[in-house]
Amino acid sequence: MDPQPEPVSYICGDCGMENTLKPGDVIQCRECGYRILYKKRTRRSKFCYL
Amino acid sequence: MFSVGKQLPYPVVGDAGIDKQFLAAPIKSAVDKFQLLPEFLKVRGLVKQHLDSFNYFVKTEIKKIVRANDRIVASKHPNIYLRFKDVRIGEPSIMVDGSPEKITPQTCRLSDLTSLINKQGYSLDCAVKLYSVATWKYAAPILVNVEYIQGSPGQMTRVEKNDVVIGRMPIMLRSCCCVLYGKDEAELAKLGECPLDPGGYFVIKGTEKVLLIQEQLSKNRIIIDTDKKGNITASVTSSTEAIKSKTVVVMENEKIWLLLNQFPKKVPIMVVMKAMGMESDQEVVQMVGRDPRYSSLLLPSIEECAKSGVYTKEQALEYLESKVKKSMFITDSSEKEGRAYSVLRDVFLANVPVHQNNFRPKCIYVAVMMRRMMDAILNKDTMDDKDLFKTMISEAKMWIDKFLEKNNKTSRFDFSHVIPKPLLAVQWSACDNIEYISRDTITNGLERTLSSGNFDIKRFKMHRKGMTQVLTRLSFIGTMGHMTRVSPQFEKSRKVSGPRALQPSQWGMLCPCDTPEGEGCGLVKNLALMTHVTTDEEEGPLISLCYYLGVEDLELLSGEELHTPFSFLVIFNGLILGKHRRPQRFATSMRKLRRAGKIGEFVSIYVNEKQRCIYLASDGGRVCRPLVIADKGISRVKEHHMKELTDGVRTFDDFLRDGLIEYLDVNEENNALIALYEGDATAETTHIEIEPFTILGCAMGKQAMGNIAYNQLCRKDTLLYLLVYPQRPLLTTRTIELVGYDKLGAGQNATVAVMSYSGYDIEDAIVMNKSSLDRGFGRCIVMKKKAVTIQKYDNNTSDRILRPDRTADNAGHMQILDEDGLAAPGEIIRPNDIYINKQSPINTRTQIIGSAANLPDSAYRPSREKFSGPEGESCVVDRVILCSDKNNMMCINFLFRHTRRPELGDKFSSRHGQKGVCGTIVQQEDFPFSERGICPDLIMNPHGFPSRMTVGKMIELLGGKAGVSCGRFHYGSAFGERSGHADKVETISETLVKHGFSYSGKDFIYSGPLGVLY
Repeated sequence: MDPQPEPVSYICGDCGMENTLKPGDVIQCRECGYRILYKKRTRRSKFCYL
Repeated sequence: MFSVGKQLPYPVVGDAGIDKQFLAAPIKSAVDKFQLLPEFLKVRGLVKQHLDSFNYFVKTEIKKIVRANDRIVASKHPNIYLRFKDVRIGEPSIMVDGSPEKITPQTCRLSDLTSLINKQGYSLDCAVKLYSVATWKYAAPILVNVEYIQGSPGQMTRVEKNDVVIGRMPIMLRSCCCVLYGKDEAELAKLGECPLDPGGYFVIKGTEKVLLIQEQLSKNRIIIDTDKKGNITASVTSSTEAIKSKTVVVMENEKIWLLLNQFPKKVPIMVVMKAMGMESDQEVVQMVGRDPRYSSLLLPSIEECAKSGVYTKEQALEYLESKVKKSMFITDSSEKEGRAYSVLRDVFLANVPVHQNNFRPKCIYVAVMMRRMMDAILNKDTMDDKDLFKTMISEAKMWIDKFLEKNNKTSRFDFSHVIPKPLLAVQWSACDNIEYISRDTITNGLERTLSSGNFDIKRFKMHRKGMTQVLTRLSFIGTMGHMTRVSPQFEKSRKVSGPRALQPSQWGMLCPCDTPEGEGCGLVKNLALMTHVTTDEEEGPLISLCYYLGVEDLELLSGEELHTPFSFLVIFNGLILGKHRRPQRFATSMRKLRRAGKIGEFVSIYVNEKQRCIYLASDGGRVCRPLVIADKGISRVKEHHMKELTDGVRTFDDFLRDGLIEYLDVNEENNALIALYEGDATAETTHIEIEPFTILGCAMGKQAMGNIAYNQLCRKDTLLYLLVYPQRPLLTTRTIELVGYDKLGAGQNATVAVMSYSGYDIEDAIVMNKSSLDRGFGRCIVMKKKAVTIQKYDNNTSDRILRPDRTADNAGHMQILDEDGLAAPGEIIRPNDIYINKQSPINTRTQIIGSAANLPDSAYRPSREKFSGPEGESCVVDRVILCSDKNNMMCINFLFRHTRRPELGDKFSSRHGQKGVCGTIVQQEDFPFSERGICPDLIMNPHGFPSRMTVGKMIELLGGKAGVSCGRFHYGSAFGERSGHADKVETISETLVKHGFSYSGKDFIYSGPLGVLY
């Protein structure tokens, strides 16, 4: 959709695996199939100056 | 220490005066039975009544219900049938793409889709459709084994199929069907569950729902009462599997009448008796009793009957036929034998069965009802008190099984409607009628009921609202308290004080303290610690046992013999079995059998001397509690039993099995003399209380902030209050340890000065120390949840999330968004900040030409979600949870965390209900301090004490001070001082003195600003 989407990773609620999602994807862990994902907490220092 | 043991008889003079036997007798020492309590809670637990009734339903009741209507026959072709052979509940699972996938309760909690019914108002049936598909609930399939006929009439084949799903059943957590059943702490933690969580509730649509324990008048029992006009009535609410009816016999104008729904007007009871074949007036008089007082009361009724010209059974039936309500649906049978006859057989006193048109048991039942009424007229104190707890029954179970029964019935109707039609339509081709079983009726019915709490059972004319409630998760103890709540039977009748008053029969069954203030006061109750609610027990063996033990069968008794002196009627679950000539002996032998474990431990035997009846009960829904049996005042539980218990070789059930402990229900308690303490027992004492404080429930700190559960940070509650630094109380009680309050505490220990200060402490206001607040006193976390659904519409369009445009005008409000258009966890969010950059299509109804995915940007309108919170408070995006259902609809949950410190106007309370608002916050420099430099956290006004008389709080003040100075937790259990489970004030005072304080807990305090002694 957008030219260079910054990948945002999501963490599986069951196995802890990091996943990346594209729009329209099923919310499901690639590894274990668990259907609840959490957004990963990241350091966003670079955005503070924008 | 002279008071130990028995006191010596006073004149001890000379040899002859000494009672040698007395001196040789061992000193009675009370056995510490406290250890029984944790054992009891291990087997029964605080929420065991919920679990027990659900387990019973799932294991036994559901099989019974299915067996009762197992055969479905095609109406036109009786050879074609479907038969249920067996039913069972499978493992909790959810259907994903047609295949079952196992689920855990925590998954269900996290993935709710409640916000699915959307606000933009598209067609309702579409919403309903989506709704029924997209529900996450903790449910398991109901599997049946069926056998059915397949094929054309010429060549029919019998097919058997196993494990056919007919619906999905919501599963109670920690019940025998639940995945959590029998799991240990580590396994529970692995499943994301709190090990201390009691279970006993359902998870439906992501919310936890409790089915409240209901209180209602007991079924199938004669209740004598007066109506509005002051007439004496005897009423029976009959309830069988087939029908529920209320029969009222009323004495009006000295004549006795019958009130029944099927008769629009009251009918003379004697006509009813004649219609049931009791043509002889003399026999009726004999059945009621030969005492001339009874017959004189009965005479006007007999005259009334004669006046109407009713003498024979036929005349009586004819008379009643003219009175009976004309029914719309006339079945073949009722036309043949007359409607009045079928009403008398099926509706009138429905709990008394009629076998082979033998109405005699019903006649005797009516006679007993009349006799009880006349007793009430002649002797006022035989009147039943409707408010008396013994005539009430709490049941959690009943509702769900009644409900499923109904649902099964409807689904049965569904089968019978659905199956024949296609069979006829396709000309008996080989169609598989199993395909036509509808699964949604049961599933949706159960789900709707549990989530709305409205129980409507047309067949039983039952409409009740608010049967389920969302489990309160304000604090761990609040949750526990909610599980033991008993909801009242009547609508809240405001003006009457009777039902609100404390009933003596509630002793030990319901907590005497725990009731809400205001509207529901006294009506909403809570179970006590050791209460157990029974489930149904099989009747057949018990009835035959009664006959073996010398009960004379009702069939063999003439009217005259019914009420002979020295004989008691034996009434089993409201049904008259017969009479017994030696009632005490019968009762004793039944009790001995129960203690020996030959009959169920919850069977109650109650001898009523006044009514000359023995009541036996084995039905479900009675409340009962365990007590130690005493023989002539000597407890059966001895020291060595308790030793075995602590060593782990004896369990609570062993105590039951060995006849040391038994369960008594409210009725049987009337036959017992219960000593509160072992030392109080006299020769007449039959039972001894296990622990006196078990008459209380667990009511502490329902709204207190603290911990919710071990998994509190993994949960997804819409609103959650947590304390940052929760503490264990310094002054604990035994109950606290039993319910796990010490593990999941709420509240903090504060250094309190009880003194006047600053004038900002009037009307219970509290002065707080600013430095204490800086140190973290009373700091709490507020978690709020916002859910956003990415909607899909009927025209294949859907919402979309956009990458934030960093150059747009409102980019300032979009700073916290990541590249995926969702707020980043850990970011500070301010009011009006956007946390999801969502767009919705403008056109959601009409079909779109071309691909829905390639819609131009102009076809979307922004539907961003803005954070709304109070200005100046900083919240943090705690977590962002994404989940999707099988329709690939995405649901995004945002959890916002706000840490706040106490402010002016926040409410604080001690554990004794001494609540107050924070009146002012004062610098520590201005706070008073003691000689040792101790500065209190808060100051309370001493004027709050005299009128409230919170002695417990005074003890807590002492005990807390002693505890903090000696480094030991002190106990303050109610009733505990005598049995040694609570510290006495004297010992606490001694500790205080030892550590250099005044024995009274008072201290010298210096003024903060002036430094002078107050």
